[in-house]
Amino acid sequence: MSQTSTPIITAVGITKSFGSGDLFTTILKGIDVTIMQGEFVAIMGKSGAGKSTLMYQLSVLDEPTSGTLTIAGESIERKNEQERTQFRLQTLGYVFQDYALVPDLNAEENVMIPLVMRGMNWTEAKTVAQAAIAAVGLPTKYKNLPSELSGGEQQRIAVARAVAGKPKILFADEPTANLDSFSSQQVIDLITSLNRDFGQTIVMVTHEREYALGCNRIIHMEDGLIIREEILKPM
Amino acid sequence: MNIFRIGLLLGIRQIQRASIWTNILIVFVMALTFLNLIAVSGILVGLIVGSERALQEKSLGDIIVTTKDNETTIIDTPAFTRVLDSIPEIQDYTVRFKEGAQVEANYKTRRDLSQDKNVISGSIVGIDPIKEDAVTGLSTTVVEGEYLDTSEDGYLLLGALTLDRYTAGFADITGSLENIYPGDTVRVTIGQNTKEFFVKGIINAKAGEVSRSIYIPERELRRLGNRVTQDAEEIAIRLQANTDATMVKNALINSGLAEQAKIRTFNEALPKFLVDIKNTFNVLGTFIGSIGIIVASITIFIIIFINALARRRFIGILKGIGIDRTAIEIAYVIQAGVYALAGSLIGVVITYAILIPYFDANPINFPFSDGILVAEPIGTLVRFITLFIITLLAGYIPAWMIARGNTLNAILGRK
Repeated sequence: MSQTSTPIITAVGITKSFGSGDLFTTILKGIDVTIMQGEFVAIMGKSGAGKSTLMYQLSVLDEPTSGTLTIAGESIERKNEQERTQFRLQTLGYVFQDYALVPDLNAEENVMIPLVMRGMNWTEAKTVAQAAIAAVGLPTKYKNLPSELSGGEQQRIAVARAVAGKPKILFADEPTANLDSFSSQQVIDLITSLNRDFGQTIVMVTHEREYALGCNRIIHMEDGLIIREEILKPM
Repeated sequence: MNIFRIGLLLGIRQIQRASIWTNILIVFVMALTFLNLIAVSGILVGLIVGSERALQEKSLGDIIVTTKDNETTIIDTPAFTRVLDSIPEIQDYTVRFKEGAQVEANYKTRRDLSQDKNVISGSIVGIDPIKEDAVTGLSTTVVEGEYLDTSEDGYLLLGALTLDRYTAGFADITGSLENIYPGDTVRVTIGQNTKEFFVKGIINAKAGEVSRSIYIPERELRRLGNRVTQDAEEIAIRLQANTDATMVKNALINSGLAEQAKIRTFNEALPKFLVDIKNTFNVLGTFIGSIGIIVASITIFIIIFINALARRRFIGILKGIGIDRTAIEIAYVIQAGVYALAGSLIGVVITYAILIPYFDANPINFPFSDGILVAEPIGTLVRFITLFIITLLAGYIPAWMIARGNTLNAILGRK
């Protein structure tokens, strides 16, 4: 990592437990992790290792049981639900496993709504959304409903939605899990290019090592702990 | 503002993408609820309004002039009517002379003096048949025989409720004449004077007062009642169409006629029991309609709840990408609002374009009234607003319940 990089995510002592009594389970057992601005990090591990759970904590979709989390200079644990939603809107972008587009909205509207929510006017949001959709290679699909798009196309629209608002951090939770190999490679290339060309900070959970090869660093998890960090490309 | 715009977009798109049959079904339920709300109380109230209309058309007119409380007749009736003649807003009026009378039937066939007389006591009204017909259309109420002819003497009209065959179960209370048909003779006694009349016709109107009365030409009544003046008991006035009755009444009062008689508009002269029944029916109808609203609101609640539950994951994703949950709640409220609006609009069209004209043309035939459907615009508006607000609440509550849930649990489909 270069000496000029600044941390954008700092997590200290993150734990996550579920249930109570006999069903009490601890998924994350004290995670310390720092992610630098402009870094592309992959989280890998076997099923049940806690990689998705860690990503949910880092992406403010969930609240850790204990530990402190600072993102883009803001302490997260003191934020209420509404402030967390607002924080996600302003700071973070998401690509979920199974596209997660709103089925009632067409591609353009799916990309537009977070932009309008941020305060952009309708026309401006439409222009930005169309540019983002064109940038992911689907310039003729603005008006298509999700059901009229292939899985790969839907995931590219999801990427367009995630990055149209220029988030500080992009989280991708197994973005290729439901795609064929061709579409998977397209999506990975797209995500990698965002980091390479625009310096987008990316945290991605994946099972596939080949898709993590474009990352700066791979965090390996096992049984709720980080067992190893692998630097592929120093920043 | 942006929250509302996103809510609007989501709400409209949900309706657009929903099954057309689902939308039709929901709107149909809302339309039926609205009709239930309007029609039940509307028909109940319409029975009384029908009765009021009959009273206005067949008896009281638009303005009714009666004796002052401490007088037995309208003072100087001829002078009073001369003023009426000079007011252009008055289309017609009819002067009525009233007496209590005994009417005896079948006296010729009574075998001995120990047998009960077939006699009734009732109100006998002396009229100018032409003027009475012009104001109340009395000739149209003749159900047997013929109407009175001004040039004839010795004929009368019997109200149907004075006859045994029309009164059925009421007869024991009111008394009635048996086996009397047009062409038969009856004996009318006013005070000490008795005269035999031919029954010229039987009249039957929805206004009970008319159907209980006996009508004869006014000169015969004055003669039989030993009246030396032309002072009458009642004048019913029919106004030109679209004339304000209160304005004419005030004009009459300003002419000094209030010194001679009591002058009231039709509404002021309505019997209190009719007003009370109307109010009671209104409350009853609203109560029954309210049950309909509760059923509709539960229906909407279930529909929105199932809808929101089925979309719980997308609600989670929307919240996950930073959409304020208020926008999501607004989407469902708008959905419920659109259903309520569409259903109510259809209900309004059915009510005003179909049901009201239909019931006006084909009133429900009740013994005391021609029942119509009454739906005052203000009352309809109030019911619409009530239905609308309750529907919005029924849409909001399930959306709130689902949207307030944990975001990640919603995304992952966890409970």
